[in-house]
Amino acid sequence: MQKRVTFNTKTLPYLLVGPQIAVTLVFFFWPSWQALESALYIEDAFGLSRDFVGLRNFRDLLNDDVYLASFGVSFFFGIAVTFLTMALALALASAANRVLRAATAYRTMLIWPYAVAPALAGVIWYFLMNPSLGIASYWLDAVGVDWNHYVNGDQALLLVIIAASWKQISYNFLFFLAGLQSIPQSLIEAAAIDRAGPMRRFWTIIFPLLTPTTFFLLVVNLVYAFFDTFSLIHATTQGGPANATSTLVVKVYQTGFVGQDYGSSAAQSVILMAIVIAMTFVQFRYIDRRVNY
Amino acid sequence: MAHLSLKSLTKVYPGNVTAVEAADLDVADGEFVVLVGPSGCGKSTMLRMIAGLERITSGTLKIDDKVVNDVEPGHRNIAMVFQNYALYPHMSVRRNMAYGLKNEGKPKAEIEARINEAAQMLRLTEYLDRKPRQLSGGQRQRVAMGRAIVRQPAVFLFDEPLSNLDAKLRTELRAELKALHDRLRGTFVYVTHDQVEAMSLADRIVVMNAGRIEQIGAPIALYSRPETRFVAEFIGSPAMNFVEGVLGEGGAVLVSEGREVLQFDRPIGLAGSGFVVGLRPEHMKPSKGGFARLRFRRVFDEQLGADTLIHGTLDSGPTRVILRVDGALHLPDAERLEVGVAREHLHLFDPKTGLRIDT
Repeated sequence: MQKRVTFNTKTLPYLLVGPQIAVTLVFFFWPSWQALESALYIEDAFGLSRDFVGLRNFRDLLNDDVYLASFGVSFFFGIAVTFLTMALALALASAANRVLRAATAYRTMLIWPYAVAPALAGVIWYFLMNPSLGIASYWLDAVGVDWNHYVNGDQALLLVIIAASWKQISYNFLFFLAGLQSIPQSLIEAAAIDRAGPMRRFWTIIFPLLTPTTFFLLVVNLVYAFFDTFSLIHATTQGGPANATSTLVVKVYQTGFVGQDYGSSAAQSVILMAIVIAMTFVQFRYIDRRVNY
Repeated sequence: MAHLSLKSLTKVYPGNVTAVEAADLDVADGEFVVLVGPSGCGKSTMLRMIAGLERITSGTLKIDDKVVNDVEPGHRNIAMVFQNYALYPHMSVRRNMAYGLKNEGKPKAEIEARINEAAQMLRLTEYLDRKPRQLSGGQRQRVAMGRAIVRQPAVFLFDEPLSNLDAKLRTELRAELKALHDRLRGTFVYVTHDQVEAMSLADRIVVMNAGRIEQIGAPIALYSRPETRFVAEFIGSPAMNFVEGVLGEGGAVLVSEGREVLQFDRPIGLAGSGFVVGLRPEHMKPSKGGFARLRFRRVFDEQLGADTLIHGTLDSGPTRVILRVDGALHLPDAERLEVGVAREHLHLFDPKTGLRIDT
């Protein structure tokens, strides 16, 4: 039996949850409703008049090759960032887990990138990789790589993937390290006695036991890559060149604020919202089941 | 099966902390040896060195005449049972047992056969497809033993395997473990801090204290002839009573701070003057007879049914003494008792070195 708190008055519980509900209503439900509504209209650029068009905005989007391409970019970006982030974070965390001395210092240093604002992270990488004055692109040039993400779309995408991953690794690292430290040492020792080498121990014991962490981070990273990387991409490549780094969020901005097509922009954000809801649903539904051992 | 040999095995941790100091031990093929001692005495470190989980600082470790100091744990032909079971939580009981055999590359049919045999022996057959979290503590520990048995190792290592279980289960599993040893005839090295466990399981007990081996011997030998005061105090429950003093009147009395604490029938012909006399609670008889006699001040009784423990002090001073008498014995309700001990139940130790003095 779980202990429940009981209140003597009827109003107190409402007062306690009130602020939270108010914040959610004002900052989430209201704008969401507004987006849902404007997605059904076509508005003129000055916001003076609008016509109800039903689902036309959505139909247009699904027939728009540029928009569909940005779906592709988004998924590639999302999967690449998630994979890169998790692989590197897990490697770093496994290494850190073995460090006994100066472990705290090592950990603190690895956490720093997370404290950098996304736009700043973008600017850092922008300068590092800048074809004319970046030190990294200078080094790349020295080893024969002609780096110019202003012209080369693949390089631009690679740049934002690296920048976005670099920033997210710290967060993943923290969770992986905590996950690793919660695995009892005796399990690893038992496996060593059971004649499992380090690699085998990792894949048959450690990695399966990290599943809850891995799954949680998978969802978090996908959400991050899809929705939280706007400022980073905006500061680094502005979605270019030729839409090569134009993910769904960047596209919302471009359509709405640059192209001033509010109806289409709203429709895009509704689609994004649907994706978030779907991912959250999957997370809640499976996080307690599939990954439990 | 195999024998095990430790030659001046030493473990020094960084910071110059010596956990085990020059331990010598030979374990014969099929022998059940129990390492026992208080926490921090180095018994677990010694076991972990045998397992290969702890680097050996110096000395040699041989399994079947082969030096295995630098051999990986998986290749030492040992199996270990941990205190917290250390079962792989994401694998079924069957896969837990199969894991080591798979790593050795054994054929599927053989793995299956060995698991079934072990499961039968440990009454685990119906639990083979369960996950460890669906089992009770006792079952989990049996799975851990099963995981060791299927490997058919040369040496079985146990690190306080019963410590996490409740008292009743511990007694049950202790009996099972003993039966298991009789059946497998394996070489067992078993670590515990519980001297009762050590006494009941071991062919030979190794008593450790502060990183050193105090005494090695059969349980009954340790009980009846402890070589040091530490062993005397550690083996037996309730612990042995100690009375300290110097001999007076030509060796017929023991005197402490000017007061007689013990009287002997006749002088014990020993050189030197300071002694620690050890008296087991169960050997102290409330009667006027006996080779050594003392006056006892009773504080309270503890009735355990079969026995009664009488707690108190020496009449002459604050030294605490416990008597263990038959539970059916009716003692007068007196505060002071005369207590006697037979000659063969006296243990004498040097107060400085703690070593046994033979009389």
